Amino acid sequence: MKSSSRMSAPWLAMMTAMFGALFALTANAQQSAQPPNPNADVLSIGGSVTEIVAALGQQHRLMARDTTSSYPPEVTSLPDVGYMRALSPEGVLSVGPSLILSEEGAGPPEALDVIRAADVDYVEVPDALTPEGILRKIAIIGDALGVPDRADRLADEVRIALSAALTDAQRPEAEKKRVLFVLSTQGGKINASGAGTAADALIRMAGGVNAVTDYEGYRQITDEAVGQAAPDVILMMDRGGDHGAADDEVFAMPAIKLTPAARTRQVVRMDGLLMLGFGPRTAEAVRMLHDALYTQGT
Amino acid sequence: MTAVTEIEAAPRDRLSRARSLHWVLAGALGLACIASLQIGATGVTLSAMLAKLGQGEALSQMERVVLLDIRLPRLAMCVLVGAALAVSGAAMQGLFRNPLADPGIVGVGAGAGLGAILAIVLGAVLPAWIIDLTGNQMVPFAAFLGGWGSTILLYRLSTRHGRTSVATMLLAGIAIGALAGAVSGILVYIADDRQLRDLTFWGLGSLAGASWAKVLSAGPLILLSVAAALRLGRALNGLALGEATAVHIGIDVQRMKSLAILAVAGATGAAVAVSGGIGFIGIVVPHLLRLASGPDHRTLLFNSALLGAVLLILADVIARVVIAPAELPIGIVTAVLGAPVFLWILLRRRGLVEL
Amino acid sequence: MSLIAKGIHVRYGTREALRGVGLTALPGQMTAIVGPNGSGKSTLLGAITASLPFRGQVSLNGRDIGTMKPWELASQRAVLPQASRLAFPFSVIEVVRLGLQSGTAGDRPEVPMQALARVGLAHYADRSFHELSGGEAQRVMLARVLAQVWAPVEDGQPRWLLLDEPVSSLDIAHQLQVMEIARAFARAGGGVIAVMHDLNLTALFADRVAILAEGRRLAFGTPGEVLTDDILSRAYGCALRVSAPPPAGIPYILPHAASA
Repeated sequence: MKSSSRMSAPWLAMMTAMFGALFALTANAQQSAQPPNPNADVLSIGGSVTEIVAALGQQHRLMARDTTSSYPPEVTSLPDVGYMRALSPEGVLSVGPSLILSEEGAGPPEALDVIRAADVDYVEVPDALTPEGILRKIAIIGDALGVPDRADRLADEVRIALSAALTDAQRPEAEKKRVLFVLSTQGGKINASGAGTAADALIRMAGGVNAVTDYEGYRQITDEAVGQAAPDVILMMDRGGDHGAADDEVFAMPAIKLTPAARTRQVVRMDGLLMLGFGPRTAEAVRMLHDALYTQGT
Repeated sequence: MTAVTEIEAAPRDRLSRARSLHWVLAGALGLACIASLQIGATGVTLSAMLAKLGQGEALSQMERVVLLDIRLPRLAMCVLVGAALAVSGAAMQGLFRNPLADPGIVGVGAGAGLGAILAIVLGAVLPAWIIDLTGNQMVPFAAFLGGWGSTILLYRLSTRHGRTSVATMLLAGIAIGALAGAVSGILVYIADDRQLRDLTFWGLGSLAGASWAKVLSAGPLILLSVAAALRLGRALNGLALGEATAVHIGIDVQRMKSLAILAVAGATGAAVAVSGGIGFIGIVVPHLLRLASGPDHRTLLFNSALLGAVLLILADVIARVVIAPAELPIGIVTAVLGAPVFLWILLRRRGLVEL
Repeated sequence: MSLIAKGIHVRYGTREALRGVGLTALPGQMTAIVGPNGSGKSTLLGAITASLPFRGQVSLNGRDIGTMKPWELASQRAVLPQASRLAFPFSVIEVVRLGLQSGTAGDRPEVPMQALARVGLAHYADRSFHELSGGEAQRVMLARVLAQVWAPVEDGQPRWLLLDEPVSSLDIAHQLQVMEIARAFARAGGGVIAVMHDLNLTALFADRVAILAEGRRLAFGTPGEVLTDDILSRAYGCALRVSAPPPAGIPYILPHAASA
């Protein structure tokens, strides 16, 4: 008797927790996927893809999105199928799309196989780090949605806006500011962008110089490497909150303290999707960054 | 104090209780399987489909895909992985004579993790024929090789003149784990951000990538390893008395150890390979069963396989409905549910057992 | 049909723990191994039970133990270690059953309870082994060992009890009880080898005594032959006198005078 009462408590606790959670959540699961427009049948995966769909005037056809799709703001009310690299096949099918538009690199691959097997059209949109790449994205999405004319018009607008922004952003080599894109400062370690990234591409388009080009991609870099990179400006993603305090924190970091950027307190914060998405708003992003680099402060 | 009166009271028989638990757990497994096929984000249910089939109606493409390509392989993975993790845990605890031992401790988990990280990060630069050969199975396959390799290395390090020192093995396991961690750290440093995110999700453990291909690749090894582990019951009971005494009561301890190590490496390596880092099943399940029906490994191992499968199925159902249409990594669910139970057990049993 | 050890050498690193020790134990007798700390008594038992690597030869009922499988050895001899740590919370009866499974009485489910009753702990069958005192644990382990070789003679061959300090954590009453059990096993035709610390109990119960000192066998014979002033004084390195009462006024208690 003694041992049976000893055993029952954790068993009971565990079983109650599991079954309780199970039933509470199943009810919840059946209700959550309710798209606003009953005729909507497109699932958009990837922030820039969703932006392009909206820019093509097809936002009403969206029935669901992934976590990275946050613009235009109205899309955030759509059901969220999760992070694009860790999709749940049944979750994706549960929203019942007939077309899935996805940025390159969604996964896991097994989930995509199953989704394709369910007779859902799946269109992959290649990544882009150039104006031409953005135009290609627009064309592919326009074709997939059956609105090639609108896509042509949008592409023209975007091309013109981009070339104007790029022309305006040009600076003589000697004047170009060195920009360090800091992805995160977790635990006092600086994770910065090297070459070949969206941040690197945008910095160059906006008339700046990426201060770190020794490596590809985003890496943690040492304090000394930050000093040697000698950035004039620190570029970061805008995560909301109190910027003044956050700036103090950044400039107090030993690595950044000794940089020219710290002496002039030059930090630029931009929305992550706007800056790194490479979609219809990239011309805007180029202008915004260029202005932030060259008109503010100095 | 005469012998006659003492013998009159028959001793409590925990063994038959543990054997009847086989049936209880098998029933629970059946219920869990039905729940797993019935519940999901799409609202497709097993009962509706059976009703349809009963009336001779054909299933829609969607229903077929959801049931046959998503839920069934996933259920099969849950059963395989849950049983593999729980049995590996029970066998390892028996082998190390420590109720807190876990395959993670002897470096199987770390080795498998290193294999997976190697495949994710270096996958792109491997010769094309290897990629063609392994296809989508490259990460699982590499994880299994890593787990297997580290176990063999561990065994070589800790075995001298045909005798394995458990203490050396534990220390070597820690060292191998640290080494694998360091190499993983270097690889994480050279990974690009997309690979990094893959690593993060792999490390949390997920069954979202369940597929028949994965079930078929991991299944045979897991079944073989679990079957081998189930034969270790009597030997592990003897080992509870210590290695020397186990030999004295007629157990071929060296052979048993080799078998246990191979079984654990096979089951854990294959399970970690297809599902990532799913924690606590290997430690919580045998603990609960020891509380319920005693430590006799002849029943503990089989009951662990059943309960491990049941718990992982339920955790998986929770993982896929809690934030539907997205889903939680299942490792988070097992940790949230398992860690408190584990702590509770620790607090209750502290002082009773040398940890 | 006896247990014979010849020319046993054991090294621990650079130290030579046994330097060519031999021992012949006969069934029907209790053979005791005594000697000071570090003399190699437990090491000799370790070699006889094949628990540690040694040079030399040990034969059990006419067979070299090096050629026997663990289960063959287990069917002919049971070993009681000095101290036992149990890894999981087995109950007392479950521990005793572990011995039964490995012996040849596996088809007699009543044996474990009888063995427990033999050591006077039948009422503890359902207790957790971890809750026992040191002395109780030692007696439960003896019951386990007895269950393993329940019949002292089987198929005309003697079975063997190899005991490493079987009474070390027992009070005097239970010391006598355990020694009685061992002697009864021998009287029924089985063989017993016990490493002993207590010279009085040895004198009282052993048929043959081997005295070890510094890794060598100093003497071997009946208690009357080897428990002498001279041999004991040499073995233990202090002046000892056998059968000499202490000065008047100081009480002394000998097991010889006890009656159950």
